Amino acid sequence: MSNRRTWVNNALSISALLLSSSTVYAASCCGGGNATSLVLPKFGNQMIDVSFDMEDYKGYWNQDGDYKKDPDGSDLNQYRLNLGYAHRIADNWQASITLPYVWNDNTYPGITSKENGLGDMSASFWYETFDQVTCVYQVNSIADLRPAIYVGGTLTVPTGKSAYGDDATSSFDITGRGLYRFDANLLIEKTVYPFTATLQGSYGKYLERDVNQEYGSPVEPYKKNLGDRTFVSASVGYTYFLEELDTLTFTAAFADLREGEGEIDGVSDPLTEFEKQSVAFTTAYASSDLRWVVKGTFSHALRSDGRGENFPTTDILTLGVSYAFY
Amino acid sequence: MRFIKLLCIALTLTVLTGCLDDLKSDSKDLRTDTSTGGENSAPALDFMELTTESETVQLSTELMSNDAVVLYYTMWCPICDSHMSHLRNNIIDNYRNVRFLIVDYVSGTVAQSRNSQVSNGYASLTVLADTDQSLIEQFNATMGTTVVIDDQNKILMNEDYKNGARLAEVLEAL
Repeated sequence: MSNRRTWVNNALSISALLLSSSTVYAASCCGGGNATSLVLPKFGNQMIDVSFDMEDYKGYWNQDGDYKKDPDGSDLNQYRLNLGYAHRIADNWQASITLPYVWNDNTYPGITSKENGLGDMSASFWYETFDQVTCVYQVNSIADLRPAIYVGGTLTVPTGKSAYGDDATSSFDITGRGLYRFDANLLIEKTVYPFTATLQGSYGKYLERDVNQEYGSPVEPYKKNLGDRTFVSASVGYTYFLEELDTLTFTAAFADLREGEGEIDGVSDPLTEFEKQSVAFTTAYASSDLRWVVKGTFSHALRSDGRGENFPTTDILTLGVSYAFY
Repeated sequence: MRFIKLLCIALTLTVLTGCLDDLKSDSKDLRTDTSTGGENSAPALDFMELTTESETVQLSTELMSNDAVVLYYTMWCPICDSHMSHLRNNIIDNYRNVRFLIVDYVSGTVAQSRNSQVSNGYASLTVLADTDQSLIEQFNATMGTTVVIDDQNKILMNEDYKNGARLAEVLEAL
């Protein structure tokens, strides 16, 4: 085994992409740029969404929740191109698919690594519990307070390179987690112009898998599972109306992501348990016909002690554009 | 739109047919040698290494006064930290006659290794500064590798720490 191989031959910083929720920030019930999932506007029939993430690692929280810096000389980055497509399949039903392509660019003391490959693909179904756009300009009745509520499910398919497949020979090659996961999702959104509030949550369960190799090296076969995953995000936004009713929306969000204990051969594995808290700021421009949305998001992990546990802290800059057909 | 739908279908098929490796996991034992410890493994060769406090540790000397030596390989990352934290809180105190040694193979110098050890909160553990990667080569190790050597120089375990259950099982059987 070469020095290079041994230096990098394990999970260093398992990418936050692999662990965070969808980074695609598409439209919303009203068509503007608020929602934090790939959601087709109520009036839309199809939508294409393209976004690019630039994620920069800045240390990590340890098991006790204390923030620790990376060793001197570290520069860990991941870049992702996310291709998304959403399709209305019935009046209140929509489906979407997201496929990321990932570039890893890492420098660790004595190590330089550049790798790329597909990430984990995800497919979602959403049911809209409302029949009309719920965004209003004034509240004149109780009915005007009704929010847009979506319920849905997301299947994450391990199409990326994980530690357990043939393709990754080091942690710096990883572009996926290697396990299937199903998430149940809830998205609640209410806009009373110019204000918007959004609450999003998901609860995910992984499917156990067999492992007989790690980073290309055979190991004694075992069964691995990861802990249940909970994601909660709350955001508020303010919309400015520009000339000819184009809009510019500014949104601030707080997110909490955590996974519980995993299992190895049915025995509890508390070492994979983690937590991450972050804030995000989004600026979105939407054309007056609401077909085009151009967005930029900066997500910042809160680096103070107690804001995370057993997880890398990262900053993520996302630039994206979506186009809705109707 | 027809083109876009076809593109999505083609992408999906490409993904599903091109990356079957992780989509269908395998439970076959692919190991072809016994070099990773166990009944037929070769005995551990003696080594001598500097600690981060510039003291010398020799395997043969440690095995004269202990039932076993445990090596854990760290590069001071989140996963290493979770392993080391678990090791310290759940394993070490249960085996008073086992010598636990952390191997830092990434820092490059004794001073940097000591700095990483202290800043990460592990000043109380004994850390070997493997500045020339001789220890990582000797045991074919990598990050997270945990090696158990008994007092007969036999390598009882040489694999990733995972959740520490396998290590506890091996130490319990000493």
